[in-house]
Amino acid sequence: MAARLIQKILKSIGVNTSRFGQERLTDSTVHVKVSTAPTSARGFASGSRKVTLIPGDGIGPEISAAVQKIFTTANVPIEWESVDVTPVMGPDGKYGIPQAAIDSVNTNKIGLKGPLMTPVGKGHRSLNLALRKEFNLYANVRPCRSLEGYKTLYDDVDVVTIRENTEGEYSGIEHEIVDGVVQSIKLITEEASKRVAEYAFQYAKANNRKKVTVVHKANIMRMSDGLFLRCARDMAEKYPEIQFEERYLDTVCLNMVQDPKKYDVLVMPNLYGDILSDMCAGLVGGLGLTPSGNMGLNGALFESVHGTAPDIAGKDLANPTALLLSAVMMLRHMELNEHADKIQHACFEVIKEGKHLTGDLGGKAKCSEFTNEICGKL
Amino acid sequence: MALLARTFGRTLMQATAVRSIHTTSAVNQDSGALGGSRVTCTLIPGDGVGPELVYALQEVFKATNAPVDFENYFLSEVNPILSAKLEDVVASIQKNKVCIKGILATPDYSVAGELETLNMKLRRQLDLYANVVHVRSLPNVKTRHQSIDTVIIREQTEGEYSALEHESVPGIVECLKIITSKKSMRIAKFAFDYATKNNRKKVTAVHKANIMKLGDGLFLKSCEQMAKLYPRIQFEKMIVDNTTMQMVQRPNQFDVMVTPNLYGNILDNIGSGLVGGAGVVAGASYSAETVVFEPGARHTFAEAVGKNVANPTAMLLCGAKMLRHVNLPTYSEMITNAVNKVLKDGKVRTKDLGGQSTTQDYTRAVIANIH
Amino acid sequence: MALRYTQRLLQTQVPFLTRGYPLLVTKEKGEDVAHTKSALQKKWTGVDIPSAQYGGRHAVTMLPGGGIGPELMHYIREIFRFVGAPVDFEVIEIDPSTEGNDDLDYAITSIKRNGVAIKGNIETKSQGLDEVSRNVAIRNELDLYVNVLHCRSYPGIPSRHKNIDVVLIRQNTDGEYAMLEHESVRGVVESMKVVTVENAERVARYAFEYARQNNRKKVTTIHKANIMKLSDGLFLEVAKNVHKEYPEIEHNNMIIDNTCMQLVSNPHQFDVMNMTNLYGTIVSNVICGLIGGAGLLSGANYGDHFAVFEPGTRNTGTAIAGKNIANPVAMINASADMLNHLGHKEHARVIYEATYETVVNDGIRTPDLGGTASSTDVVENILKILARKRVNWPQGQYRD
Repeated sequence: MAARLIQKILKSIGVNTSRFGQERLTDSTVHVKVSTAPTSARGFASGSRKVTLIPGDGIGPEISAAVQKIFTTANVPIEWESVDVTPVMGPDGKYGIPQAAIDSVNTNKIGLKGPLMTPVGKGHRSLNLALRKEFNLYANVRPCRSLEGYKTLYDDVDVVTIRENTEGEYSGIEHEIVDGVVQSIKLITEEASKRVAEYAFQYAKANNRKKVTVVHKANIMRMSDGLFLRCARDMAEKYPEIQFEERYLDTVCLNMVQDPKKYDVLVMPNLYGDILSDMCAGLVGGLGLTPSGNMGLNGALFESVHGTAPDIAGKDLANPTALLLSAVMMLRHMELNEHADKIQHACFEVIKEGKHLTGDLGGKAKCSEFTNEICGKL
Repeated sequence: MALLARTFGRTLMQATAVRSIHTTSAVNQDSGALGGSRVTCTLIPGDGVGPELVYALQEVFKATNAPVDFENYFLSEVNPILSAKLEDVVASIQKNKVCIKGILATPDYSVAGELETLNMKLRRQLDLYANVVHVRSLPNVKTRHQSIDTVIIREQTEGEYSALEHESVPGIVECLKIITSKKSMRIAKFAFDYATKNNRKKVTAVHKANIMKLGDGLFLKSCEQMAKLYPRIQFEKMIVDNTTMQMVQRPNQFDVMVTPNLYGNILDNIGSGLVGGAGVVAGASYSAETVVFEPGARHTFAEAVGKNVANPTAMLLCGAKMLRHVNLPTYSEMITNAVNKVLKDGKVRTKDLGGQSTTQDYTRAVIANIH
Repeated sequence: MALRYTQRLLQTQVPFLTRGYPLLVTKEKGEDVAHTKSALQKKWTGVDIPSAQYGGRHAVTMLPGGGIGPELMHYIREIFRFVGAPVDFEVIEIDPSTEGNDDLDYAITSIKRNGVAIKGNIETKSQGLDEVSRNVAIRNELDLYVNVLHCRSYPGIPSRHKNIDVVLIRQNTDGEYAMLEHESVRGVVESMKVVTVENAERVARYAFEYARQNNRKKVTTIHKANIMKLSDGLFLEVAKNVHKEYPEIEHNNMIIDNTCMQLVSNPHQFDVMNMTNLYGTIVSNVICGLIGGAGLLSGANYGDHFAVFEPGTRNTGTAIAGKNIANPVAMINASADMLNHLGHKEHARVIYEATYETVVNDGIRTPDLGGTASSTDVVENILKILARKRVNWPQGQYRD
């Protein structure tokens, strides 16, 4: 009975149990296939490369246009392929992402996405969740860095949160055992934990980071977080050049708001990542300034994590920074570092000068003015 | 009326005069002795710098002449050989109904291979379901945010800390998070009653019901139901990730927060960080019958053991809270005022607040300010 | 005037008693539409609210009410602070001059949360037909079906009879106080008296249970079944049936008019008395007179879930408010009853003793007991005695 339940759970998160089980029997180490290494080398070096663009809802189209404009100005060798992800009814009667969009990302292996709105009501799965599942986006990366020119209480933040994105508390397995008692299952697997840990170290290495901190609560959740911790430790041995430390979740929270300098790259399970990444975003001024990237087995998706802001949609007031910085992250991922640096520099310069800031940063400029200013810097 | 007031004063003086001859040393006295006027309090120094802080607390209590006797129990999970038996400690707290406790360190793996930590066991046996941490900016303590005054109320007997975990298939661990309507109602009521008693205006329920629709959904539903009974208190809900972001950006918007277990832990620590760190925030855990006062952010600060640098403020404030709870408000104010005075003067300050003073110096300064 | 009255009738389509709290009370079916009030008392069917006890401290609702209420409550708070009673009061003032029931609703909600309340008498100024007496409303809404009044003589107080010790158990929610009245034909008013098996049984059971637990010998059921054969007949019959489960306790019955006569001639024959609502009012006032005044006795109202404590005879004493002559003893006894109910027996005991010592031994009494002392004199003396008896924190045994 229990075994069957587990199998069901595993299937739901996309783990092939039989293969997995056999492997465990024959070999004590799990072979994890991590394809996090930048893939752009594969024949895309010459000529422009196609990237799927999901403009999103609300302010999405405006900020996407802004990003496209900046990229054109900067002569980035990228060809955009815009797709619509408005849910359509599939053959099974459920609403889902249109096949065209899925195909596009699958061929291009890389995408940029504006904010999406999930319709309220039953029968609609969160689109973000659907995309995550569709492309097996197992790690979410959010660099949070204090921007010069936009003053917050914290001016020395430079951390990257890397969050496991497929399991943990968000496994979605919940049931009401008896009336008034609900049990939610938090699932930690060795496979996913190793995968995200490995990605964290690779990221640190690729981006010249010094330290990786694993955030856990293994003093309370001794087995589940214990497993996560163990996987991180194992992985740390393979990357001796990068400093490794273990910290309790509560300690990180405490220290982060007091002295954010203490941390560099943070890697953690799903829920903690969700909470900490938003908190770090808060430290540097909110979600409007933090880029985000999702690494997956079938490709990578970069997005802005702020809301769709329907109240200012179409008014040319939105701040495209988050999406722009996400696009910059994407360029780095594609090893177009030169362009990435150029655009990022221009963006930071404009914010630093503080003359053409959008409303959310306390300025009066319109989205287009802000965009033009960046283009001018290029 | 004036006469009445004067007589209160007089009789109170008489009462205190009787008390002044007592000592505050750790006495293992038997209970009973009705008609006396002393309070017995269980004391668990805990791990890390706990014993040093508790020593400071006892010194300060001695200086105030507070009619309190301590029953000292060394309880520890990292040091099981020296540790007192949990049953004895529980019995002592059940008898005394008040306890002051340092922080117990929890190793990642217990010696006996148990999933439940000693802290959890203690909480469960005493049914200490509500943890209250009052995060308040202290005078003259330099922090990024000013005038924070927030109370975080946390359910701490269920949720993620259920200690129900198993490895069904090698490499795959399941951890159960349990939410029950009974306990959710209980903590919600606690929060609203706390708000009512302390003239607070707003209760914010922190949740993640957009993802955990059933579990956190149940918690949220319970809070909503309870809120109907408190028409004069504003009720609001917020998703936990947004809450943490708001906490570091605009912490002044929060009044009373009620949270399930893990989120509470996170918010406690963020809150403590905002007002000056783990050394200055006092907390308390309540059951129906008993209260355990302990520092709000649970860090043993083990690296500072024996260096005489730990900040005893949180522990002293715990002591003050304990005194107020057992109806000795005069002594409570003595300690609170002395601590505030020392902080305000800013001359004597421990390392965590940017000073150079030792724990001992600080304690002495507090004692010198007790009037 | 007439217009305003009609307007009010129109506005209050939903009478107070049926205005449900969605979480807690679901309405009983079969409400009689001919009456503005529900004929059946509501049963508690909602969710069990957790008790308001935290770390050994209780939250208690305090309704000072009108007249002398606020002064008396002030004394109670001083005494509690002094004796170190682990009780936190949530004070709710009900403004008697307001028309609406917002404050009252809030007070009732508060009692539902806290489970226990202490109250003075609340004035109902409005005489409108749709306005229920606020005291009655509290009792009905909380289903406080039984009122217990322990009448005991204080030695030394001038009175006709000595050593009276009678416990009155009074049905508190139906009977004549059902408040179902109407003018069917002009000039003819009907008033309904409601007796239900359920409530009659609850109160009878309470009476016998009380007798058993307190080693009382006899229960007397007071009725008027010779005239009201069905209603009081039912009440009596139920009491007789319940008695079968308590064979060790003697049970007799007495007609109300005879009871009054017996009370003034030979009160010592009574032990525990079980009666309906109106008879309870009559008997309690008679006994209060016998033992020397209304200012000494405390009463308690119990339901299945809530308890409300108040002075034994329910009057606001508006006439003597602010003159510092009101007798605080009844309210102090009520507060001690409350502590007892909450399990703080030690605190309750010292307050009882100090009060008794003040009134009996020290002879410090207010004018209504033939003394000359002021209210504050009495309270000060009690505090003085309490200073010698300070109670340790915490008291009471640990309960599993």
